Amino acid sequence: MSTAEVVSSLLAQRFGVAASELADETPLYRLRLDSLALEELRVMLEDTLDVDLDDIVLTSRDTVGRLMAAVEHEAAA
Amino acid sequence: MTRGPRPFEAAVTGLGLVTAAGVGVKATWHAVTGTARPGRVDRHPELADLPCDFMYTVKGLDAEAVLNATQLRLTDRFARLAVVAAREAVADAGLDPAVWDGSRVAVVIGCVHGGLPFYDEQHTTMLTRGARRVSPKLAPVTMVSAPAGSVCADLGARGPSLAVSTACASGTVAVGTAHQMLRANACDIAIAGGAESVLSRLMIASACRLKAVSTRRDDPLTACRPFDAGRDGFVVGEGAGVLVLERPEHARGRGAAVRALVRGYGASNDAYAAVAPHPDGAGVEQALRTALADADVAPDEVGHVNAHGTGTELNDLVEAGALNRTLGDRPAVTSTKAMTGHTLGAAGAIETAFTVLALEQQLVPPTANLTLPDPRLPPGLDIVRDAARPTAMTCAVKTSMGFGGHNAALVLTRA
Repeated sequence: MSTAEVVSSLLAQRFGVAASELADETPLYRLRLDSLALEELRVMLEDTLDVDLDDIVLTSRDTVGRLMAAVEHEAAA
Repeated sequence: MTRGPRPFEAAVTGLGLVTAAGVGVKATWHAVTGTARPGRVDRHPELADLPCDFMYTVKGLDAEAVLNATQLRLTDRFARLAVVAAREAVADAGLDPAVWDGSRVAVVIGCVHGGLPFYDEQHTTMLTRGARRVSPKLAPVTMVSAPAGSVCADLGARGPSLAVSTACASGTVAVGTAHQMLRANACDIAIAGGAESVLSRLMIASACRLKAVSTRRDDPLTACRPFDAGRDGFVVGEGAGVLVLERPEHARGRGAAVRALVRGYGASNDAYAAVAPHPDGAGVEQALRTALADADVAPDEVGHVNAHGTGTELNDLVEAGALNRTLGDRPAVTSTKAMTGHTLGAAGAIETAFTVLALEQQLVPPTANLTLPDPRLPPGLDIVRDAARPTAMTCAVKTSMGFGGHNAALVLTRA
């Protein structure tokens, strides 16, 4: 499973975000991903991907595209 | 006895219940009055090595079918039970959250332990997998105000909201607090109740060491025996009870059916011990007399008491003595805990809902599992047993007692 697929899968299973909602330009708050949700997602992704994502700085005003790019960048590092 | 200002009657217009005896008011009341047999008691594998491995458990509630993804993610079971019970109560009251003035709707939900199961789970995660794997949502999920907050968010109740935490008197104090808030005109509608779910190995292990819970592992269904000579402790249960209370003119103004009236409230503290009630029972007696004075009701007008009745030796004897001293031999006394388990912070609210139903239907539920009354009980105390008893009454009382010396009493009257 690719990093993007892991993110999509967690968003669907744990946050009720459908794959169809994941357009690159969509702000995260539109997907009900507030600051707490983003921290939960960080812990889940670190656990699933076995990476350290502490350096990623995201707010709910950032977009899906920015989230995916940031996680892929850290996972590849 | 000094009398306060004119009694204030809060109209009870809606009830919601989720208990081991049933999901919903109808199912729960049918079980509590119809069978005189206990609600659902389950053994839990994670408790298998403990002296007590059983609890009263809610069955037949599919939370995933009724709550949305965000609610499921951000709630532990105790808050989910509260939301489900609150929805039933609001619907029963004929209220529509889509059109009400949410700024005039208060929410008061009692709770003792909060999300102890999630706390327990996350502590285990930290010990076994490290601090980085601990969830950031520990606080919002486990705090005792989570049921109140979850109910507010679910229903769009934007008035005053709070959690009441006075140990096992929490549910009764929540209803009493709502009565006071309505009297003070802080709201027009108060959604009041209690919620608890503590399927936690940590919690039950401690309760076992305290010798507070029954260890009748060979017969869990009869383990909870309020007022019985063979009792050996309480049995924990999960559940939630919610009542909709309204200022009388608000209920009248919208033509709501009033199920009963909350007319008086009293609370006290024993100022004595961490877990044991004071042996003279003066604390619970004081709460009861205060509630009677608040309601302007004479002791001999009380036809029924839904007692705290946990099935511990200390509680049963102290409470029975105080009830009999204060109210005499007339009221039909019952404990419904053998039907629901001891739901801790939810107990007072669930049992206040039972008291409303008893007044409405003129029917007192039996004390299940009572076969041999403790001979030390007051001889005139009229405990209802074996089957529900039709009882003509205009006034009924709910009493609660908790760790830390908390006592509370409510006086309710027929609508």
